[in-house]
Amino acid sequence: MNCQEWEERIALYAAGDAGAADAAETERHIAGCAGCQVFWSGMKQSLEWLREEHREPIAPAHYAAVRARVMAQLERGRALWWRQVWVYGLGIAAALVMVMALRLHVESPRVAIVMPAAVVKSAADAGRGAGSRPGVLPHRQAETILVKLETDNPDVVIYWIAEKKGD
Amino acid sequence: MNVLALLEMAAAVESSDNGACAIAAAKAGDLAAFESLMRQHERLVLVTAVRLLGRLEDAQDASQEVFLRLYRNLGKMDTVQNLPGWLYRVTVNVCHDMTRKRPASVAMEDLPELAATGADPQQSATRRERRRALRMSLRFLSEKERAAMVLRDLEGLSTEEVARALGSSEATVRSQISKARIKVRAFMERYFRSNI
Repeated sequence: MNCQEWEERIALYAAGDAGAADAAETERHIAGCAGCQVFWSGMKQSLEWLREEHREPIAPAHYAAVRARVMAQLERGRALWWRQVWVYGLGIAAALVMVMALRLHVESPRVAIVMPAAVVKSAADAGRGAGSRPGVLPHRQAETILVKLETDNPDVVIYWIAEKKGD
Repeated sequence: MNVLALLEMAAAVESSDNGACAIAAAKAGDLAAFESLMRQHERLVLVTAVRLLGRLEDAQDASQEVFLRLYRNLGKMDTVQNLPGWLYRVTVNVCHDMTRKRPASVAMEDLPELAATGADPQQSATRRERRRALRMSLRFLSEKERAAMVLRDLEGLSTEEVARALGSSEATVRSQISKARIKVRAFMERYFRSNI
């Protein structure tokens, strides 16, 4: 093994990263090799300088600046989240109101379709007795009411004849 | 066991409890608790970032990104014991991303800060020169070599912890560390041929 191959082992040994057996072997080699002694002392020196260089503390104001920036960003994000909740909430509420209104509008004509057969018959008989034209129902008879329901379709008109009871 | 060791153990347990409480409260949306969590780990993140990037302003940007990622990932944090390892890993990743995005030409801009610390102008000048050389030497390392060296030689993590933080094997980390040390030594030797 030449000295260049020892460099990696010395580099690990320099900061205690070599195993016990490797460390002992490296120490023995360094003791008997002038070139590796120079390499070894240079390695120790550069590591020491590196550590010394980075030992300098960072001023507390620099930490505080980072903290302030993070907190500001989180608070901004939170405010934005609440704004989105409000906007989406209002949108959903408006959509619900529209759906409800639409359903009421669509369902309302269906209510008027029920016509008791007996009432229709008695109203038709009364109309014929009064000498009206055939097919035309008498309006404002004493006991019956005629209700005309118009649907969205102009071709469909529903007439509802009901019996009036009391006032 | 002596009193000092017992006190140290008690302090460690208390600090761990505080960390766990802060994580739980921060998960529940308590921003003050998250700020307290940041205070507990800000040194680890900012110092590592400075050592990897070589420039305080860049390191502050990286730290900000690391803590924002921590906030977004609080739900995945099971225990406070995993937090330092997670922070080292994310700090290294964020710094690597920043290095790729930004040119490295401005990495030694804050050198004048050091001038005021030395009493003797000659000594101060030598230190500044050494500082410049060391920073330059780190820039000649690959990303992985620099990260391995910073975590092992400057942060003092064990080889196993470095391997976990970098997502590689211990053998790979050992090789990266030795190569990095040899490169730094060689650079310093060339720079200060007469002194080293």
